[in-house]
Amino acid sequence: MADINIKKGHDIQISGKPELLVYPLQKSKTVAIKPSEFRGIKPKLLVKEGDEVKIGTPIFYHKSNPDLKFPSVGCGVVEKIQIGPRRSIEKIIIKLSDKENCENFKSYRLHEINTLSREDIVESFIAGCLFPFIRQRPFNKIPTKIEFPRDIFISGINTAPLSVDLDLALQRKQSQFQAGIFALNKLTDGNVHITYSEDTVSDTMLETKGAVHHTISGPHPAGNIGIQIHHIAPLNLKDIVWTLNAQDVVRIGTFFLTGELDVSNITTVVGPSIKKPAHYISRIGNEMTSIVHDNLQDENFRLISGDVLTGNTSSMEGHSNFYDTTITVIPENDEREFLGMLRPGSSTTRYSLTRAFFGSKSNGFDFSTSKNGSERYVVPINAWEDVLPMDIMPNPLYRAILVEDIEEMEQLGIIECDDEDFALCSFACPSKIDVGGTIRQGLDLMEKES
Amino acid sequence: MLKFIKNNLDKVRDQFEEGGKFQRFYPLFEATDTILFSTDEKTNSGPHIRDSIDTKRVMILVVLTLIPLYIFGSINIGYQNAVSSNLERGIFGNFLFGLFQILPIIAVTFASGAFWEILFAIARKHTISEGFLVTCALIPLTLPPAIPLWQVAIATSFGIVIGKEIFGGVGMNIFNPALMARVFIFFTYPSNISGDKVWVAGPDGYSGATALSVPASQPGENAVSLLTEFAQFDFSWMNMFWGWIPGSIGESNKLLIILGAIFLSYIKIINWRVIVGAVLGLVGTALITNFFSPYSSNSMFTIPPHYHLVMGSFLFGIVFMATEPVTGCHTDKGRWYYGLIVGSLTVIIRSINPAYPEGVMLSILFANAFAGLIDWFVVQSNIKKRMARYAQ
Repeated sequence: MADINIKKGHDIQISGKPELLVYPLQKSKTVAIKPSEFRGIKPKLLVKEGDEVKIGTPIFYHKSNPDLKFPSVGCGVVEKIQIGPRRSIEKIIIKLSDKENCENFKSYRLHEINTLSREDIVESFIAGCLFPFIRQRPFNKIPTKIEFPRDIFISGINTAPLSVDLDLALQRKQSQFQAGIFALNKLTDGNVHITYSEDTVSDTMLETKGAVHHTISGPHPAGNIGIQIHHIAPLNLKDIVWTLNAQDVVRIGTFFLTGELDVSNITTVVGPSIKKPAHYISRIGNEMTSIVHDNLQDENFRLISGDVLTGNTSSMEGHSNFYDTTITVIPENDEREFLGMLRPGSSTTRYSLTRAFFGSKSNGFDFSTSKNGSERYVVPINAWEDVLPMDIMPNPLYRAILVEDIEEMEQLGIIECDDEDFALCSFACPSKIDVGGTIRQGLDLMEKES
Repeated sequence: MLKFIKNNLDKVRDQFEEGGKFQRFYPLFEATDTILFSTDEKTNSGPHIRDSIDTKRVMILVVLTLIPLYIFGSINIGYQNAVSSNLERGIFGNFLFGLFQILPIIAVTFASGAFWEILFAIARKHTISEGFLVTCALIPLTLPPAIPLWQVAIATSFGIVIGKEIFGGVGMNIFNPALMARVFIFFTYPSNISGDKVWVAGPDGYSGATALSVPASQPGENAVSLLTEFAQFDFSWMNMFWGWIPGSIGESNKLLIILGAIFLSYIKIINWRVIVGAVLGLVGTALITNFFSPYSSNSMFTIPPHYHLVMGSFLFGIVFMATEPVTGCHTDKGRWYYGLIVGSLTVIIRSINPAYPEGVMLSILFANAFAGLIDWFVVQSNIKKRMARYAQ
């Protein structure tokens, strides 16, 4: 049990904060799963266009491990399999039927789960296509072969801009969450760690048994699982840990209790360009049009699956990503300000972590996609260090990656890093350098060499 | 009007972009374009939103902080001239006199600086860096008002080319380019700048000792009493603090420098650790020299720490030169050591080295050279901690 207090970092005050109420969304016509978003997965299809699938039907698997199967996230007909460059499978679109059915597997009572053996649990995970909901550190990707982890970490707090309030999202899901924790407990010889905010009120996490509880306070990236691992039990060389989103733990628990895969997600639809920012009941791989339908208030906008720091640009025809539970819409920028660099600035025109403008750091700033400057060489004024709550030196690490010095990257602790933890560094950088992107390059290089 | 400028810029944009007639001069176009209008670049990779700060803003704020120093510098030049020629002119008259002294220096600095910056930008095909604005704004402040303009031009060229561009430009340089410019004059034309004679824009042949050279030239005395007794200039602590003494253009008023330091630290552009480290280093080393002063005939040993602080260009150097983020240490722990080195070396050079009464410039350049090494030790200590954990 740790009580972590994060000091470095920053909660970006972006407008379009979600209301703490959950609304339904209209049912969408299609859902999709994008094999390309799973790093390191080589998909082999199990279905073809025109096949009928149910929720939970395996639709592709990882080439070198047939047990690593990916579920259909909707019930209906495989409408289209989009093939990208070099015959990669980009997207599998499923046209939903009016009434959706699920594949049915064996279910258990809550207390039974605790008595199951590791083999039983693994069998259920394979049958239910649950492994894709787990991600492994180092490298933050789906475990492609089963090596039981040192520990399993679950973040019960989101601090990324405008992300889901997990305390709200997990309300009244105590038994499902508990079931998920019991199941995960069998998969590690170490502990299942859950970390949540000191202000958590719902019993779902507070009353959970079979897990080590931690509390964390402080600004973003306190909710990032990488930061929590770093402060609870940092990764050593050759360590493997698994991480899960809290909502996916509920999903796993539901699967064990009902034998069915629940594909719903509480998702925030947020940002300066959204009329009614709030929590909505969405689903995995949902259609963007049905998510932001009628909810837009700008003409020229950017649709992002994920939060503003780590999300991917999408389009109205697109679908949300597998793990994303935030959909952000921000205006595209096309303004140019006369002598912008000399203006004193005000709380409506400037937002900065430095104090180089008057009245910045307003409460609810209308961010746009403007880069606010051009890329330059690094001017080290501690912009990165001030937002990275880890005992890791971002500047030397960045340089080690640029010169591809694997040994030094390892010494500087790259295996503990993930690009999402460095997103704030990129945000704050006066030279507009994408630090997170470089960290990802470094991780990819490490992985290739190891 | 604005629209007119913008439309015209947009009209000629094609010709400067790739494939255009003036493709080679794109850096020049880009600089004009983005100085006039903030960039319309959008995020494409990484975070979709970004902080409003950019290097242009960082650099321009440093330049703005220097403007009060220019104003006081002008007034002081006029005042020193009036004193030396037995004139009465009033503050505004002094200001105008000084302004006409320094405007040519500023013009020559910026002209030669811009020439090299643009030449390298075009030849190397990189964008024109805003950093040269700061460098060129700093150089005149470090120079005496009576400096020959051709020396200014050569020194600026040396500072920009050897100090910065041959390393690859802003962000890659090892030594502070503005100090490189000054050190060039210091070693090549020592008679004009070495710091043992004052620099007054006054009648021919008018000269005198600087505050630092007074105790340096008279062994076996107490520095403070030497300074108080000194007849030609008022070298009292208060007067040196307020800066009504001859000196380089921008270094004499200590209050403005301290206010500048507070402002730049507050907006998080310079790092206060360097400044505090340097002051601690200076005070500590000065106390040591004070302790040993009874055993030496060197009057410099008797200068108390608070006199060291206001004498010479120490404050100006540590606030505007040592804090330069690229050439200093890049780690917070390193910045403390780096500051300590600058501070204590300044006293050591002032007191022990007989050739140069002033030492802050040399000690900053020396610390610049060691900044990488200091950082290396700091990074190694971080690595060692992690390796010990890995080994468990």
